[in-house]
This record gives sequence, C-alpha cells and structure tokens, in this order.
Amino acid sequence: MGEGAEFDVGPSANRGDLVSTEGWAERVPLARRRPRRRRGRDFDRPVFLRVFFIVFMFFTFAPIVIVALFSFNSTPSLQNFTGFSTQWYDEFFSNVGLRESLVASIEIALVTMVVATVLGTTLAFGLVRARSRLAQSSNVLMLIPLVTPEIVAGTSALLLFAQIGIDLSLLTIMIAHITFSISFVTVIVRARLSALNREVEEAALDLGATRMQTLRLIVLPALWPAIIASALLIFALSFDDFVISFFTTGESPTPLPVQIYSSIRFGVTPTINAIGTSMLVISFLILAVAVALPRLLGRREEENVLIGRETA
Amino acid sequence: MSENRFAHLLLAPAGLWLALLFAVPLGIVVAVSLGTTDPIYQAVYGWHPENYADVFDPLFTPVLLRSVGFALATVVLCLLIGYPIAYYIARFGGRWKTLLIALVVLPFLVNYLVRTYAWVAILSDEGLVNGIVTDAGLSENGVRFLNTPWAVIGGLVYGYLAFMILPLYAALDRMDPALIEAGKDLYGSRWQTFWHVTWPAAFQGVAAGCVLVFLPAVGDFISAQLLGGADTYMVGNLIQQQFLEAANWPFGAALTIVMMAFLLIWLSIYLRSAARASREATA
Repeated sequence: MGEGAEFDVGPSANRGDLVSTEGWAERVPLARRRPRRRRGRDFDRPVFLRVFFIVFMFFTFAPIVIVALFSFNSTPSLQNFTGFSTQWYDEFFSNVGLRESLVASIEIALVTMVVATVLGTTLAFGLVRARSRLAQSSNVLMLIPLVTPEIVAGTSALLLFAQIGIDLSLLTIMIAHITFSISFVTVIVRARLSALNREVEEAALDLGATRMQTLRLIVLPALWPAIIASALLIFALSFDDFVISFFTTGESPTPLPVQIYSSIRFGVTPTINAIGTSMLVISFLILAVAVALPRLLGRREEENVLIGRETA
Repeated sequence: MSENRFAHLLLAPAGLWLALLFAVPLGIVVAVSLGTTDPIYQAVYGWHPENYADVFDPLFTPVLLRSVGFALATVVLCLLIGYPIAYYIARFGGRWKTLLIALVVLPFLVNYLVRTYAWVAILSDEGLVNGIVTDAGLSENGVRFLNTPWAVIGGLVYGYLAFMILPLYAALDRMDPALIEAGKDLYGSRWQTFWHVTWPAAFQGVAAGCVLVFLPAVGDFISAQLLGGADTYMVGNLIQQQFLEAANWPFGAALTIVMMAFLLIWLSIYLRSAARASREATA
C-alpha cells in the first residue's frame, strides 16, 4: 500500500508526515476521494447516472419479477397477492394440451440444435478454408438470414411449404428454425476457427496424420467451446421463438410460445404467468450451462498451449 | 483430395440447405407477390404488379407510416435511455463492468412474448397498476394504458433496448477516458468535449444500435397485437393478417417484399458507412 499512498497524496504532501505521523491513515482515503469528487462536477455526473441506472434496472426487472410472483398467487387476481400456492403450475402441467406443447417445444429445440450445429460448423470450416467465388457467395448467403426480419422468415417459409405441398407440422417448424439458426452457429464457430494456429495442423499433416485425424485430434478439441456455446444458443433461440413458429405451425400440438400467444388473446390468466415463469427458468438454466460449460472445457484446453487462441 | 476441394465439400450441405430453404423461398415470395388468388383463395402465379400499387393505397399508407414512425420513436427512446446506461457502465463500471452489463442483458434473455405479456398483466384495465390506482382513489375507473400508441412504442423499447445498449457499450468502452480529461484540460466546455471527443468515438456504436433496433421494430407485430389495438396496427400485423386471416397471400407477399426492400436500403447505407469508417480507422 505504501507506494500507492505516496503517489496518491501527491507532491503537495509533506513527506515527513507520510512516514511518521498518525494522520497517515486518514489522509490516504481523503486523497483517494479527490478525483472522484472532481468528477461530480463533470458533464458525466455519476450521481445522476447512478440514479438513472437504478431506475432503469427497476423498470427492466419489475415486470419479470411481477409475472413470477403472481404465478404463485393463491387467487386468479393479478392485482392482489393473497397467498402462496402452486395451483397455476398444477394447472399448466395437468393440462394435456399445454404439456404436449412443452414437449413439442423441447423436441423442436433439440432437433434444431443438433442439425443446425452440424450444418453451421461444417459451413464455418468451408468458409474459412475454401477459396473461390462460390465460397464468397456462400458467405453472403450465410449472412442475409441474420438481418432478415423474423416475419419475413416466417412468411417465406410458409409460402415454401404451401408451394411444395407439405402439411404444416412440427417438422415444418424444425426445418424453418434450422434454416434461420445455421448462420448463428457459423458466425460463432468461424470466429474461433480463424483464430486457430494453422501451423499446428500442418505439423500434424507433416507427421503423417490424415486429414480426418487432424480434424478429430487437433481442430475439433480447440473448437468445442465455440460449438457448445452456439448449440446452446440455438436451443434457447428455438425454444423461445414465436414468430417463425407461428407461421409454420400445424394444428396441434403447437409450440409453447404459440400456445401462450393464443391464450393471451383470450385474456390474461395466472396460468400464463406460470408458463412464462417456467420458460424463463428453462432459458436461464440453458444460459448458466452455456456460461459454465465452455469454461470447464476451456480450462483443459488452455493446458494445451499449442492450440490456444493467443498463439495464432 | 486437395485442401480446397475438401473445403468446398464442407461448404456443400449447409450451402445447399440455405439455397433451397432460404433463397428459393424468398424467390417464391417475390413470385407470389405478383400473383393473384383464385375463387377459393388459393394463390396462383401471374403478372399483377398492381399488388404493389395496393401496398401504397390510401387505405394502407397510414399503417406503413405508423410502422416507420413507431420504429423511429423506438430508436430515439432506446438511444436516450441506452446511452446513459452504456456510458455509466463503460466509464464508471470499474471492476463491476461485466456484472453490470450481464445484469442489463439478463432480462432480455426472457422470451419477448412473455416480457410483453408482463406489461399486459401490469397495465391492463384489471392489471396491477390500475389496482393500485383505484385502491388509492386516484381514479374511479382506472387509467387506460393499453391500446394507445405509447403502449406499443413502450413495448418495442422494452423489447429491443438491449440491441442498443450492447453496441453503444462496446464503442464507449473502447474509448480512452484520458481523451475526455484532455478535452477538459484544453478548456473544452462539457458540450464541446462531448461533441468533439465522446460523440465521434461513440458514433459507430450509435449507428449500429439504431440499425439493430430499427430492423426488428419495423417488422414487429407482437407489441401492437398485445399492447395496442386495431388503430395502432403496424405493417407486421397487416402482413400477419393477410397470410393467416384474410388469405390474401399475394398482397401479404407484396407487403413483405416492400418492407424487406425498405429495410435493406437502410442496412446497406449503414454497412457502407461502417465500412468507410473502418477503412479510415486503419488508414
């Protein structure tokens, strides 16, 4: 602490004071405070900004907290919290239609996750390694879905299925979800892939490894964190998606967000609060896994310095 | 097999998927937008450019203008709210930066539909706020919040604010705070320091945020559907109606194409300016 204190007190301070007197301890925090006090007069005004930030946080969190709170209300009221009960969750899970919707949403998200992650990862490989005009146009084709408004995605998918005469079902939702998920995977995996050190791969090839062996033993281990992160992102996006599902869904079972939408149109009920809260919990769980897993994998990978991103 | 051949082989599956299931459908939308409907409301191909004239029919222009107006108001509000938030975290977040930005983003990971529904539950005539208002005796019949333009715009702001805050934060966090000190040391007023130092550094983030909010806001139909009513409908609601209720697919497709073209114009302007800025930065 000694050196820092000397520096903070500045040239005006008496050096003798610093070394000998007991006022030393009080003086350091005083000096530390000085730059902060000066900022207070600045255009930035941290006090104003801090209050603004707190108010902002209140307004963003309050609606979600209220939905979760009233999902445990003992009466159907959305105005008075009368007591704790789990009856709206019972209603959600005992309703066959809603349960089928939940299962349908999970099925769609799982299939979308697996197919889109495989397709998106291979596309990332192709785009990083291929050199041709075809590769350039594939890159454009990959980027446009990212800026396509969801409603355009929904209508174009609906028209496609109508034109080729496929009946709308869970399968059509999956196909539409996969189409609009591939690009997310490609963008994430490609960023990681282009940061890899090519020389390690070339060394493996020089040492007699086949291309497949190099891929399996050298490249994929370094890519796992990115692949897992994008897979979980795709699961979350697909599970939460409403717009594309809305246009491509068949009669029943419909995915959970579509189910929520049609119930809201008939009025708000605590059961919707329970469904919404359950969806929220699932989203946060996936997020937690997405944050934790690559770290766990990444630590092991860091030991393998050769493949580290920083070596590129 | 050569490296390049192998790479093209990897390109094939997803490339074909996107070509057949993304590019071709967009082509079908264009084709259908020029078609017409037969007596049983099935879309049939044809050459009917008048579908596009219908889009700009006086009956529908208010909806188009409203969509753009609501989206612009959303962008402005997101900027006014998002800028101080991003600035606060970037400049005063200190070692809590990552935590604060995570806190800001967290609510946006909750399903958009559920978050919009939350506002319905709070603001509806039987909702929480009206319960408090009538209990407190402020108003006999409560206050009408929903079915107003501001309810729809508020829903859009609440829905897309994160798309503004994140790029703003990225731009402001890169800025060296010493530059602001330098501006002040050179006797720049607060306004001058902002205009000559902070704003140029933030500009790319502002532009990116505006585009990222504007694109989904124009095409949104959830907010207008749940928080608004028939007289706050946006183009997304109109498209949705044409496809799923009115069964006038050619007109719905024409609306879709007009909206997409409108958005692509703004997107290309933004991409061009961003490319120029990054060229200047590296030059």
